[in-house]
Amino acid sequence: MSSNLHQSGVRLLRMLGRHAETVMDVYLSGAVDEANADAGVLKKLTEAGILWRPEEDEGLRLTRSVRALLEEGLKDERNRQINANVGSALATIKTLANHYKEARSHSDYSAAEAYLADLSEHVYAFTENLRYSIRVLWGRINNEFGYVGTISAKIRENELAQSQVSELLNGLELFQFSELGEIASDIRELRKLLVTTLQETLSDCTQELSVVQARLLELLGRFRQIQGRTRLLRGWLLYTDMHPDYEPMDHVAHRKVPMLFNRAEAMLADAHVDVHNQSQEQELMEMVARIKSISRLDLKPAVKAAETSVVLSAAEDFDIPENPLKQDVDDYFVAVIDSGKRQSALVYLQEKALPWDSESWIYQVIGGFEGLSEEHKSFFELEPLGEPHPVYTGNFIIRDVELWLS
Amino acid sequence: MSEANFSGIGTGLVGHGALIERLLRGEFICRVTDEDGWRALKSPAVRERIETYLNQINRTVASAGEGEVFFCGYAQLGEAERKVISSQFKDICQALIPLVEWLVLVQEASGQDTPLTEGAPVRLTELQGRIEETPAFREQLGKLSQYRLFGSTSSNVDAQLKLVFKRLVELGFLTRPNVEKQIYIATGKLDYLYEVIRFIDETEGLNLEAQAETATQRELI
Repeated sequence: MSSNLHQSGVRLLRMLGRHAETVMDVYLSGAVDEANADAGVLKKLTEAGILWRPEEDEGLRLTRSVRALLEEGLKDERNRQINANVGSALATIKTLANHYKEARSHSDYSAAEAYLADLSEHVYAFTENLRYSIRVLWGRINNEFGYVGTISAKIRENELAQSQVSELLNGLELFQFSELGEIASDIRELRKLLVTTLQETLSDCTQELSVVQARLLELLGRFRQIQGRTRLLRGWLLYTDMHPDYEPMDHVAHRKVPMLFNRAEAMLADAHVDVHNQSQEQELMEMVARIKSISRLDLKPAVKAAETSVVLSAAEDFDIPENPLKQDVDDYFVAVIDSGKRQSALVYLQEKALPWDSESWIYQVIGGFEGLSEEHKSFFELEPLGEPHPVYTGNFIIRDVELWLS
Repeated sequence: MSEANFSGIGTGLVGHGALIERLLRGEFICRVTDEDGWRALKSPAVRERIETYLNQINRTVASAGEGEVFFCGYAQLGEAERKVISSQFKDICQALIPLVEWLVLVQEASGQDTPLTEGAPVRLTELQGRIEETPAFREQLGKLSQYRLFGSTSSNVDAQLKLVFKRLVELGFLTRPNVEKQIYIATGKLDYLYEVIRFIDETEGLNLEAQAETATQRELI
């Protein structure tokens, strides 16, 4: 008997293999294209229970079991079959358990063994089915119901999935482990099957299903939001079309302005350096030090360094040539001493027709004054002439200086 | 990228100077326009620091779009501030119709189920092709490009579209990550716009969604 079963099973699988192309065509298109198929093959497949004709005028289709096999094997995401019928599985399990107990108590060991094998098959099939259903649900969540195109279709699919989840959860509630424990009493095999295995799987699955449920709800929320935005835009256009004079109310006139409309005016003025802030002095100095002086005026050809070869010879005495500008400033001081009068530096510069730039001249005069020793400095008085800066208070612009003997 | 930010927490505000500047310039900070800044504002510690800093000049960090978009608001409203807010509000209200028409056009022309939202790309050449093929879209584009917001005087689809997109980049609704490519990315400011419309809808009881729904159902029948 069992060898017969084995043989016919092998024959069936071979037939599926031989006609794999046809079977997959039917799987994908839904029905056989009978005009282009070999009638003999179709007949054989129908007799083997692979194809069937639901109605007289309908095409040949794959039977449910073959379809399910392919869907499961291919992990086809379009597969929307979830077996949520927990009740009947539970009833079968209970019945088989009772058969087994009866056979055992009658010492009919061969029957008991058969019942136990059958019962294990059912329990494992049930748990596998449950896990598979959850996997299918995750698959749908992860591709965000990508097998349907529109948001409304996605929302419907999501609602279907949610109803399946609640059905599964309701079904799982039917399991009363106290009852199963009673049925199993102290029979080790039964306890293992009905209590340990089932309980672990079910608590895992229940937990996972509640996660699935939460994710589905979240996803639904997002779909609704997207749908809501589309409707919002269309609604806006419709409304403004119908009410051409419509203007939104002044929502910012209320005492409490909604945060949404509280938008500050752009404000960023150019940064200015605060030269009086001593704490920034260090940074300012660094910035100034980084400024590269670019002076393209009076660039003398750089001959000196390149063309004079360095001759190392014995150290000899050398003089630093007197700076002519400094020399002239010294003369200016002497002139003040000679005349004993107040003397403007600029006027002196013009009178003597000296070749210096007036600014450098004044600098040098101030420098010369500051450079005197304390003793000599006390003989002179130097007064800067100028005016405060018109914009930046605290800055004094020196136009000229006057020097006289104190 | 994020490391720079976390080290910024240690060095105080110095690391976020650029971000504060962007806020003060009135920009919207979202993941698309400034991912580093956006991350910084998402971190409560950094946000707190920036908030404290801004409060000194009567500014605050405001957010929209479920906390995904940040912008700068006033901490306290006086007369002058109210005036500014009022004019900003008028600006956005005037921009609503052209922007919504543009959003609907892009959605319809690209055959999308979802309206543009932060991070969604728009390929200008594809869009242009579709608009040129369909007279109804051409007409819609022509109409919306003439709004004062865009101010196009051209009758040519190419010029109209380019101008509209240029203006949208200027207004901060789109960014163009690569100047050599005609690909634009929607910014968080668009999500802000949805929130503005939703706010108006809810406060004024316009029932926009329900009206759109009935209209679609009537079309189906």
